[in-house]
Amino acid sequence: MHGRVKVKSTAQQEEEKRKEREKKLKAFVSARDAVLRKRSAGEHDEEALQLTQQLLSSNPDFATLWNYRREVLLQLETSREKDEVQKLYESELHFIEACLKVNPKSYGCWHHRSWVNTRLPQPDWTRELGLCDRCLSLDERNFHCWDYRRVVVKESGVSVEQELQFTDRLIGSNFSNYSSWHYRSTLLPQLHPQPAPDSASNTSPSPTASPQIHSHRVCEEQLLKEYELAHNAFFTDPNDQSAWFYYRWLLGRAEREEMISCVYVSRERERVSVAFSKPVHAQSEGLMLVLDGQPQQVEWRSTHPRLRHSPVWLCDLPPGSVSDISNEHNLTVHWTEKYTHRDCALYTGCAESWCRDSATDQELFRSELSVEKSSVLQAELQSCNQLLELEPQNKWCLLTIILLMRALDPLGHEKETLAHFQTLKEVDPMRSSYYSDLCSKFLIENTILKMEYAEVRVFSLSNKNLTTLCHLDQLLLVTHINLSSNQLLRLPPQFAMLQCLEVLEADDNAIESLEGLYHLPKLEEVSLRNNQICKLSDLESLASCTKLTRLDLRGNPVHKTANIDSELSQLLPLLCKSQAFVV
Amino acid sequence: MGTQVKDVIIKPDAPNTLLLDKHADYIAAYGSKKDDYEYTLSEYLRMSGIYWGLTVMDLMGQLSRMNREEIIEFIKSCQHDCGGISASIGHDPHLLYTLSAVQILSLYDSINVIDVEKVVDYVKGLQQEDGSFAGDKWGEIDTRFSFCAVATLALLGKLDEINMDKAVEFVLSCMNFDGGFGCRPDSESHAGQIYCCTGFLSITGQLHKVNADLLGWWLCERQLPSGGLNGRPEKLPDVCYSWWVLASLKIIGRIHWIDKAKLRSFILACQDEETGGFADRPGDMVSSLWSPSYKSLHMHKYFACCFTRSCHSSKRAYRSLQYILTSVLYFHPGGSFPHSVWCGWSVFAGR
Repeated sequence: MHGRVKVKSTAQQEEEKRKEREKKLKAFVSARDAVLRKRSAGEHDEEALQLTQQLLSSNPDFATLWNYRREVLLQLETSREKDEVQKLYESELHFIEACLKVNPKSYGCWHHRSWVNTRLPQPDWTRELGLCDRCLSLDERNFHCWDYRRVVVKESGVSVEQELQFTDRLIGSNFSNYSSWHYRSTLLPQLHPQPAPDSASNTSPSPTASPQIHSHRVCEEQLLKEYELAHNAFFTDPNDQSAWFYYRWLLGRAEREEMISCVYVSRERERVSVAFSKPVHAQSEGLMLVLDGQPQQVEWRSTHPRLRHSPVWLCDLPPGSVSDISNEHNLTVHWTEKYTHRDCALYTGCAESWCRDSATDQELFRSELSVEKSSVLQAELQSCNQLLELEPQNKWCLLTIILLMRALDPLGHEKETLAHFQTLKEVDPMRSSYYSDLCSKFLIENTILKMEYAEVRVFSLSNKNLTTLCHLDQLLLVTHINLSSNQLLRLPPQFAMLQCLEVLEADDNAIESLEGLYHLPKLEEVSLRNNQICKLSDLESLASCTKLTRLDLRGNPVHKTANIDSELSQLLPLLCKSQAFVV
Repeated sequence: MGTQVKDVIIKPDAPNTLLLDKHADYIAAYGSKKDDYEYTLSEYLRMSGIYWGLTVMDLMGQLSRMNREEIIEFIKSCQHDCGGISASIGHDPHLLYTLSAVQILSLYDSINVIDVEKVVDYVKGLQQEDGSFAGDKWGEIDTRFSFCAVATLALLGKLDEINMDKAVEFVLSCMNFDGGFGCRPDSESHAGQIYCCTGFLSITGQLHKVNADLLGWWLCERQLPSGGLNGRPEKLPDVCYSWWVLASLKIIGRIHWIDKAKLRSFILACQDEETGGFADRPGDMVSSLWSPSYKSLHMHKYFACCFTRSCHSSKRAYRSLQYILTSVLYFHPGGSFPHSVWCGWSVFAGR
């Protein structure tokens, strides 16, 4: 049984308890057998109700008994007038309430109550709401009751405003109120929806759109009020984690517009690479490629077999269609499912071409803020910094400050952000891995932003304590990448999205897996000194990188393999044929 | 003023090694004491209890101690005309126990002792217009049942028999502000439901729809100073959440966000050195002496033992589970499926 502390007792007490249990067991078994016998005999009568009542009061999880009870009630309905049926089910509600007092968390009880309300000629939703109020006052976290309440509210037409006020009261009572904040998150979008974006863009939000974007289906005016509400809660009690969770949601950004973020064309390979704003399954998206006004018959493929849903997809153009460098071509990729497309012009004399909005334009990592929102968030940042002075070890505060800084100015606050992450790992060591990964993500985002300002295709993040890689779909155009001196464990399948990569430096990590070095058509040089590549089979995917001329594996366990040279020349024959080959 | 963190304290004399043999003995003996109070009162979930027990015995390399023939006969007598399977003889069929039965038969490579087509019909018939699944003909809707449905059909190689798009749409409609999932749309996030939904999305190839970073954060915040995990914010830790939370984290690729060593010592401290078995949390009772209003069977806690690495025999258990979870991660609908793979999954039974 949950929550019962084990206490050692005397032999006599043990014996007494044993006898008591034996007695209880006998009673249970005989009642159970009687009930099941009756049911087998097809008896649906008052006695069945009495027997099941006896058993269900203390065994409400015995689901079959609730089923039998329903069968009996349905049978009795047929021989009764409406007002008798009303009484029958009202008395059933009394019984259920008694069961709920004993066990307020039984799925069977709550479901049966819902069922009874569908049979009652005249359900009393006011009474049901009262039951919910009472139940929640005993245990504000009883999710069965909250779920039931949502049904009652819907049936009885209680307004969203009233329910919001209800959450206000509960949140104000300062005690274990995550359920209330959660409820609030579902009520707000109903009350204060965001006005629709321009009708010129795609149609209504897709039904599978994540509810996380609800915060941006809430109009800004209300959103700013919510910041204040959450702020007041965690200033009253800085350890009230619920308010901090809610606040993080408020700081979350809107889901990006669905679009094609980048089209890249290579004349030499006669290949088109397309990056989408989210992972898709190309074959199901109605993609159409038009070259110089002519639709092309092409087959889309992912960059890696493990990535069935991916933001990056490739296709090959018909041979000879763009290979002549003296010709100019116009290419359009249509994403018909989302009514959007992207053009890319391939100019005379150019071996490659691309079309891409900048990360800032795409609102890739943060939303553009209105003046009002910006000033509210500035004020919030100031307040949180003040709180941090009072509670320097408060991890919620530290993390929230980081999130606020990112929402306002990710590059400007980079140094402070790194310092705060360091503190976070010290005050909340159980979650160090989480903080390391999150910090890595933010550093990668900042590097992507900086890269664009400089308009280069070189990505450098050496010696940054990186523990993970992400946003690899944004690195489609990168030619040189330096990930040396970090704590990376793998180059994951997503690394295969770096279709333009020529040089990879990843020395001094802990890399064991090179899955993502797969069919990278331009990859020439790979340096992986001092990593954890252990077996020859770990290098298999490199055989697909046909332009590879230089591979440095010194300082890896695999480097000590007997006959490493001949083994490698069998595994990577193309590599070993070249002159500039270093192991 | 400040809210105290709800947690437990682990005493210095708490167990700190894995008592595998005691656990194996406990499970092997469990069903034999048919006059046992707790055993009888948990009859309503017997099929799931058997599944949990068998799985853990298999992971400990002691499956042969269980009575295969008796169990198979038992399952046969629990399949009803409608195709659904009940928890025990005389009980009504339900998706929860249909899954457990199919899992057991997969483990025993004996799926054809039941009428498989009728099982598929039963599962199909429970899908609603909005894509959700009812648990049985009485209509309770819950994302647990979405999981049960696809897990059952995946094991039978019949995932294409339901409306997959609608099923996915319903589960996604249960995603919340914190990245988690609840029982129904607008229900609060809960580790058990999150397990069912991430499991569902893994089986149906839709994991990219999960916000892994956000959900992973919520999940790793389940770890309390004692090292144990709770099921949602501001609740006490419970060893069964080692399973729900950890499995969810593994599915979304964030298992390293939990402090393994601290969790391990919490789990070990939950062991009952006298009887074998695991309590909810250190110091609690494993078995109930009172008439249980709550579920008294804690078999699902045995999965917790799979996550410990304290002795060499449990390493095998851990590796098996890793393999299991990895296999499910890479599962493609329509692909073949080793029967032992499902050892690691259990069903979130009602409390």
